[in-house]
Amino acid sequence: MNGIKVENISFSYTEGQPVLSNIDVHFRQESTAIIGQNGAGKTTFVKLLKGLLKPATGNIYVNGMNTQEYTVAQLAKQIGLVFQNPNDQIFKHTVIEEVMFGPKNIGQSTEEARQNSLLALEKIGIVHEADKNPYDLSLSDRKLVSIASILAMKPPIIIFDEPTMGQDYLGKERLKKIMKDLRAEGVLVLSIIHDMDFVAETFERTIVMNQGKIVLDGPTREVFSHEQLIRDVYLELPHATQLGKQLGLKQTFLTVDELINFNRKKQ
Amino acid sequence: MLSCGGFSYEKIIVENLKYKYPDTDQLALNDVSFEVEEGEVIGIVGQNSAGKSSLCLALTGLIPHFFNGAYGGKVLIDGIEVKTSTITDLSQKAGLVFDNPFTQMTASKYTVYDEIAFGLENIGVSREEMIERVDWSLKMMGIENIKDKNPFDLSGGQMQRVAIASVIAMRPEILVLDEPTSQLDPQASEEVFRVIQQLSQEGITIVIAEHKMEKLASFTDRILLLYEGKQIDFDTPQKVFSRDDLHDYGVVPPIFTTYCKAMGMKNKKTNTYPVTLAEVSSLLGGENNEWNKS
Amino acid sequence: MTLYVKQDSLIHEIDPITKVIYAFVAALLPYILPSHTVALIVLVISIMLLVVGKVFRKIIPLIGLSLFLIVSLVIIQGIFRPDNVTPLFHFGPIIFYKEGLSYGLLLMLRVINLLCAFGVLILTTKPDDLIQSFIQKGMSPRIGYVIGSVLQLIPQMSATIATIKDAQRSRGLETEGSLLVRIKAFLPLIGPVIMNSLISTRERSIALEVRGFNAKQKKTFLHEVHTYKYAKVIQAVLILIFIFAILWRIFL
Ligand SMILES: Nc1ncnc2c1ncn2[C@@H]1O[C@H](COP(=O)(O)OP(=O)(O)O)[C@@H](O)[C@H]1O
Ligand SMILES: Nc1ncnc2c1ncn2[C@@H]1O[C@H](COP(=O)(O)OP(=O)(O)O)[C@@H](O)[C@H]1O
Ligand SMILES: [Mg+2]
Ligand SMILES: [Mg+2]
Repeated sequence: MNGIKVENISFSYTEGQPVLSNIDVHFRQESTAIIGQNGAGKTTFVKLLKGLLKPATGNIYVNGMNTQEYTVAQLAKQIGLVFQNPNDQIFKHTVIEEVMFGPKNIGQSTEEARQNSLLALEKIGIVHEADKNPYDLSLSDRKLVSIASILAMKPPIIIFDEPTMGQDYLGKERLKKIMKDLRAEGVLVLSIIHDMDFVAETFERTIVMNQGKIVLDGPTREVFSHEQLIRDVYLELPHATQLGKQLGLKQTFLTVDELINFNRKKQ
Repeated sequence: MLSCGGFSYEKIIVENLKYKYPDTDQLALNDVSFEVEEGEVIGIVGQNSAGKSSLCLALTGLIPHFFNGAYGGKVLIDGIEVKTSTITDLSQKAGLVFDNPFTQMTASKYTVYDEIAFGLENIGVSREEMIERVDWSLKMMGIENIKDKNPFDLSGGQMQRVAIASVIAMRPEILVLDEPTSQLDPQASEEVFRVIQQLSQEGITIVIAEHKMEKLASFTDRILLLYEGKQIDFDTPQKVFSRDDLHDYGVVPPIFTTYCKAMGMKNKKTNTYPVTLAEVSSLLGGENNEWNKS
Repeated sequence: MTLYVKQDSLIHEIDPITKVIYAFVAALLPYILPSHTVALIVLVISIMLLVVGKVFRKIIPLIGLSLFLIVSLVIIQGIFRPDNVTPLFHFGPIIFYKEGLSYGLLLMLRVINLLCAFGVLILTTKPDDLIQSFIQKGMSPRIGYVIGSVLQLIPQMSATIATIKDAQRSRGLETEGSLLVRIKAFLPLIGPVIMNSLISTRERSIALEVRGFNAKQKKTFLHEVHTYKYAKVIQAVLILIFIFAILWRIFL
């Protein structure tokens, strides 16, 4: 069974203070954004999916494997997680070596690992940096290295934790493209994200978390049609959605292009 | 621009500033010149590596006093020349909030309250005033509820707010912020901008580097556009975001402006496009005759 | 990392400097006067102070940690001390001597005594209070900062290591298992740890700079270090005892 099945899990770091409660959700193939206020429990949730934390109650199945029964390293072939800070992983002297580390760990031969790593760097647009020292790159390029090092492992599921943090316009566009390409290749993409415009432009499905619970889950357009609820959980609507409302339009618009096309047709 | 008897009222004057980090061969700042009046809010925009952070460092004296390298031109902060002053003296004029909140925590204090007081202890503020100022900045940043927590037990977003509170407690006349909302959820970043607005109303001059164009459009008076260390423009958000060549500098205007550009909705008088939702709606509502569909 | 236990007690109310003096005097007395009786008396006093300070239970794991050291001291001295003459008992061929055991016992008392004496200080004194007292007594604020930050950065470092470990495990690195597995996991963990601390240290020193860390003004303090009514008296008594012990050692 492909995808991630989360069966009624709860979790707490310290007893008596539940961080997640009664989460029951299934991810098949739609690219999914996880949004919510700081401290809502998003990072904790994806750490559970990745097997870094184990649920107190309930079970999580990653491609049919119960996370309680496997080590993180064993699950690494199935599910990749891109951490927030690339400095938490980089230790090799060249970008290519760094990217090859994961693939070799999960049993790819050196040659295979090199091929996959070059391919991943190519996809991310930094293959020309392959022989540089990662610490000679800017932080945002180092972030791309950490993404490539997960892509090269070719997991069928990839999770990002706030990938747009500190990225400029071009960086975000590149991320958007990477995620959409992965989706097209059949990879299940999940991402925690604070940038609502990015969510609206990129993800098919959106999950809203608040105080350790999922309060909304559905197609992105539908989720952003619940204006009041979005505000109640300290989020805001994408700017294009706000503009659409201001223009007095009934539908929920997700991107500025949608709005422009809609109004051009009308004219 | 106000000026009187040779004295200028500009809080910040930057003249032909050039700077190159040691062991690099490209100028991080290449001939930047602008002036900021008291109480103004200035946004710095540009793609990554454009020089935003370097400019923030130069305004607070860390360039050239902490970072060596080649320095040319002049920066005046409230009439004091940065190059001949010291970081310590400047720190009491101009405060700086960095993008990484984690390394802004002193690591020697056990509560948020004490953390915010750290700078005040250093500059010898009396105990009564210290307490008053810490309480004020806690309230400003809406973090009274976490004042007894250990700074390192906070989330990135909470830490970012503590970092800002720690700097505004020192009551600088000029506040420089380098991507201060990168880890904040949407409403928390909105709150940060509201605080900035309030501080500017109290007369504090603010310079903020940001990628959130919609926020900058609503909250800043002028925008400084940088590209590869060069100053491309320094003008109102309407003017800067209406530029046709913005894309070439790796910057996109607010979504509202993109829409209006596509639909040809222009302010005829100023020849600019709306940059905020409010401007779009006043244009549509016809409340303001200035805005007219061309 | 900080061992300080927040409690309401008489010992907590005593000012840091007095407790520092106590810790040193109590730790040194059994060396100046090397008798079991002195060591035992001082130890009993420290334990009483710990009990009054409601932190006695916290000292037990610390003593437990040093138990290995203590036991090996006693055994080694009991068997191998050069002036061993009076056999006391034996395990098979190994003979334990009275002199050695007695000396081992003294060493043991001294170690436990040292732990308890400093336990009184550390368990009942907030580290910032302690550092602030020293700064007010003339220690450089920079040194004060370094001491204070080490106490915080060590637990912080272990949080960083945990994150790094997670990041590498996520890339399929096994970090648990045989010795070989762990040795192989060492480099991928230690590299980022060092790099991260270098980067953080540099960034943090810049951030401190703009918060007036090097300001020439006289520093002020948010908290008053609480003063203690009888501080001077207790300090005087402790120092007198100390001088008296030295004189005793020299002249008697
Ligand atoms: N390692 C930890 N130990 C204890 N509490 C934690 C830990 N990590 C997170 N928390 C707490 O769990 C809650 C959810 O945190 P997190 O999952 O990081 O939220 P988000 O990613 O949505 O900002 C917060 O209240 C946070 O303080
Ligand atoms: N500490 C440094 N040493 C050397 N070069 C640096 C340093 N910091 C920044 N630079 C370089 O200076 C230029 C401007 O960078 P920066 O001011 O950080 O831009 P931004 O904040 O807009 O991303 C870039 O080319 C960058 O590589
Ligand atoms: Mg998080
Ligand atoms: Mg920057």
